[in-house]
Amino acid sequence: MSEIDPARAAAALETLRSVDAAGSRAEVVGLTQMEGGWSRHTYAIDVEDPDREGLARYIGRVRPDDSVLDTDLGQEFEIYRILEDEPVPAPRVYGYEPSEDTPFGGPYFLMERISGEGLNVWRRPDRELLEADWAGGRGIAEDFVDGMAAIHQVDPAKLSGVVVERDFRATVARWRDIYEDVRLVSDPVVEEAYAWLLDNPPAPVTPRLVHGDYRIGNCLVDGGHMTGVLDWELAFIGDPRFDLGYMSLPYSAGRFVSPDTQSPLTGAVADRDWLDRRYEAATGEPVDRAVVDQYAALGALMLFSIMGTGLTLYAAGESTDIRAAWSRFVFPGLRADLAALMGW
Amino acid sequence: MFNALRTEQLIAGIGSVGRAAATASGPPDEYARGQLLSAYSVSRLLAAEVSAEADLLGWLRGELSAALAEHPEDPAAAAALPQIESATESGAIGDALVDLLADLRTREDGGSDLRRRLHGILREMAERELIALAARPEGAKR
Repeated sequence: MSEIDPARAAAALETLRSVDAAGSRAEVVGLTQMEGGWSRHTYAIDVEDPDREGLARYIGRVRPDDSVLDTDLGQEFEIYRILEDEPVPAPRVYGYEPSEDTPFGGPYFLMERISGEGLNVWRRPDRELLEADWAGGRGIAEDFVDGMAAIHQVDPAKLSGVVVERDFRATVARWRDIYEDVRLVSDPVVEEAYAWLLDNPPAPVTPRLVHGDYRIGNCLVDGGHMTGVLDWELAFIGDPRFDLGYMSLPYSAGRFVSPDTQSPLTGAVADRDWLDRRYEAATGEPVDRAVVDQYAALGALMLFSIMGTGLTLYAAGESTDIRAAWSRFVFPGLRADLAALMGW
Repeated sequence: MFNALRTEQLIAGIGSVGRAAATASGPPDEYARGQLLSAYSVSRLLAAEVSAEADLLGWLRGELSAALAEHPEDPAAAAALPQIESATESGAIGDALVDLLADLRTREDGGSDLRRRLHGILREMAERELIALAARPEGAKR
């Protein structure tokens, strides 16, 4: 077990006490940085409080200086808070510290560490677990689709002033602007894809809450069911078909450089037709596969922008996260996906 | 192709992760282990990329040059051809293609024939690069 950083432990306790989630005798008994997180650092924090029952387990979400995206941690905190009253499985949050100058290296909030593991679809055992679920009880597959449907049925008015609204063109513009800001080289496939999207805008639908990064890797799974949806930093009010498209990318099913690593299941979770039918039944909204494919292309372009930001920070020496360099090898697969989606 | 980080930057990055692991006190936490595994993955992919780079660049340059040579009357194609023929790295090809495709998009017919041909070459380029990256580098046991 790594040593507990006393400054971080003290900061976490102060935050918990500010929302009456810890007493004066509470003590941090575990504090380790977890593996995940591209634009957030994540810490597992265990607290023992003699005045309360049992070990309290928390997650610290930190927006570090070298975050690959300039997203608002306060917005993410507020979304979690609002979701506490919605039928969307998500952890409860406990206090937000907006200061840039914290022992965690940036603003942070704490949330409950709910049961479950995050699955990594680029690892064979996790893909096999999902394939067994699909072949068996389908508890994870059903929860995954139902969770997305529940997100899309949250009343957007409840998120007014918290979550930005973006229509199709604004969403394209957001990711294109970032691509143009951070690109280190010109990419003809990416530029053609943006032109293709702008030439073929889908007919608009009623704006809904969109998770923006909905894939099984951003959910927790325990005992054959999904226990929580995490990583809300890219959420916006807009076309819910974005989530369907992004989730359908081969990347979301584990494709990296070899087709051997890609699950045969959409999103590594379910057969695509089944997934579409269940979503339609849950929302009453028909799934237009052609439009979903357009949003899949936009999802791929979003990944170019996010990973491109990481590469730029890494190249400039502003990040030491080697995963930013690793992401350079994701791009050939995304180019192949874009070429297929555009019918090249 | 069209890579943002150069080979030497990646090699230096792999070395930095190793150094950080060697100088850390106590056993690595989950984040540090993830960094080491990612560095290993980068080393394998980079080895595969370096092995295939010259062939892939030569193939791309040849296919594009042949496609553009079929349109000597097109000023944008004619301007791109010498840039691509003389390119020694993919970034220069990317620059030339971005300008050419942007020009073709402004045409009434969207530059249909040549643009379609370029799209096909780019699609095959991505597929070839994936095959190259998935290949096990010579001498690598895992």
